[in-house]
Parts: sequence; structure tokens; C-alpha cells
Amino acid sequence: MAVTQFNLADHQRAERKQLLTVAAWQESSGGTGTHEVRELLGRRTEDSSIEYNADIQTSTDILGINYTDINKTQPQQDFDPYLILGGSKLGAKLNDIRRRNALSELDQFTIYIITAFCGEDGAYEAEKHVNCTITYNSMGGDANVNFPISVYLSNDSVTGTVDKLGDDFEFTQDI
Amino acid sequence: MDKNQAIIDYLITCPKIQDNPLYFNFIHGNEDDKQIITTGNEKTIDRPYVDGSVLKRFTFTIIDFKSVAYRAVVKDGIHVDENVEDILQVQDIIDWIDEQNEARNFPNFGEDCIVESISTTANNPNLNGVDSNVSPALAKYSISIQVNYIDVSKVLWK
Repeated sequence: MAVTQFNLADHQRAERKQLLTVAAWQESSGGTGTHEVRELLGRRTEDSSIEYNADIQTSTDILGINYTDINKTQPQQDFDPYLILGGSKLGAKLNDIRRRNALSELDQFTIYIITAFCGEDGAYEAEKHVNCTITYNSMGGDANVNFPISVYLSNDSVTGTVDKLGDDFEFTQDI
Repeated sequence: MDKNQAIIDYLITCPKIQDNPLYFNFIHGNEDDKQIITTGNEKTIDRPYVDGSVLKRFTFTIIDFKSVAYRAVVKDGIHVDENVEDILQVQDIIDWIDEQNEARNFPNFGEDCIVESISTTANNPNLNGVDSNVSPALAKYSISIQVNYIDVSKVLWK
């Protein structure tokens, strides 16, 4: 598969808002059906990066040449502050899990990583990770209630595209 | 949405302002006139967030003109507190702003701006000076007000 070039002018820097992390989970639609609820992460967060946490093993042969093996990556993204905000569906869900101490429900999230600097309007490149974990790390703060979270990507992922940048996007898996 | 007009529309709902002339930037002040003075807002205080929204601040000042009484507050055992009463009227505007903030009743900056808070920068009015060239002399009390809002116009996620 050909490498997709950035949809940026030469030397133009990608804006931070073009890297999007979206959390998704299933909720009951009433009756027996469920539907996927989505929320963009990063509201009121000034700085957040995906840390890949590569497990690296390096050896050196008798000629002095280094060989570096990457055993695995454990991608993680922290959102701090993650403020309790009116209208936040994920915040409400995590707070509900916290109240019930229902820790087993924290590893059932789907996370979409959308790189809006790759692709074009109507087909932005994205990754879909299933069975991801979101943890809440603390709760409190000073003037506002902060509820910082960490997102742990499962690496159980597929690549594809999303047709738009909004809660109702459609993810199309690459063939 | 013009934020200056939004501020005017907002302030004229204040009981202490709506019954008196309100001027924008320029005025020949008379007793109880109010004046809005715009203030340049430093971009350095803008706080961009990873989703593309930006926390911004809109600052302005209200000047309230009050006639001056050159009398001692206490003289020969008689309390003359006209100046004190005047400043209490100005204080009412500060209290009104606090009440609106508590009630989350904010100026309407349009759909691309989510107003977070409105507050005065001080708990009591500032006396900026006295204009003695008019009769009666007018004291200029000022209240600086800041509106914090999130500008979501550049957010990609709709």
C-alpha cells in the first residue's frame, strides 16, 4: 500500500487539533439493541501526546555493531486536566464506573486515532483500537473538579478512514 | 456576533445601569452617566487546547460618574454620607455582576464562543479621579470586568 502523503503545504506544520483521539463505547438503545457513543478527548487539555512506550532490547556483537529489537509498544495517552464538564458523556460514564467501582468496565472502550493531516476531506486516515482501557487517576483539584484520565491503546487495531470529523463519522476499514 | 454590542445588550439589563444614559467609549459625563471603555486584550493570555478551542478573555471597564460632595463625613456630630451612598450605588453594579456569574447568566458572544465566566477584577470600585471642570464636580468610579470564554470557531470536530 502506498504511503499517504500529508495534506499540508510544503513546510506547513500540522496543527495539534489535527490529531484526534476519540473514545467510543456501547450503550443500550432500549430493548436489546446497543449503539456506539463517541466523544472527542482533549477538551480543556492544553497538552497531550500518545506515548508509545516501546520495550526495546539492544545487543552488541563482537564487532561493536548494535542490534535493536522492539519487542512491543504499549501506547498510552494521558489527559490532564480532564475536567468534569457539563455535557461530557465520557466523564459521566467514568464517574458512574468510579462510584460503582466497576473496574471491569474500564477495558471495554474503542479508541479511534484520527490523523486529519493525512487523507482528504471525506477520507481522513484513522486507526481503530478495540478493547482499550481508560483509567481515572485522581479526582479533585482547586477551582474546578479535575478527573485526569489515561487511555491505554490495545494495539488490537485496524486501519481505515473516517468520512468526517464529528461524532457521527463512519469508519471504513482498509481492504 | 460583535462582542461590544453583546456587552451593551447585557449591561442594559442591570437595574443600576438601564435607567441611566450608557455611553460607549466617548462621553461628556453628567451625574449617574455610565461609560463603557474598551480595553485591548493581550493575546498572550490565550490558552489553546488540543481540540483546537482557545480560552480567551474580553476585558472592559465601566465608568460611573457621581457628583462630589465636599463635606466632611462627620461634622459637628452630623453624618453626611452622600459620597458613601454614591460609591454604594457603584458597588451595586459589582454585586450584580457577581450574581449574574453565579446564575451563569452571561453575555451572548454567539455560537462560536462559550462564555465561561464574568467577573470584576476588584471587589470594590476604583476612584479614578474627579473632574472639577464641570459643576457639580464629578467623581469617576471605575469597574474593570473580564469575560472568559472559549472560542470554538477553529475546532475541527463538529
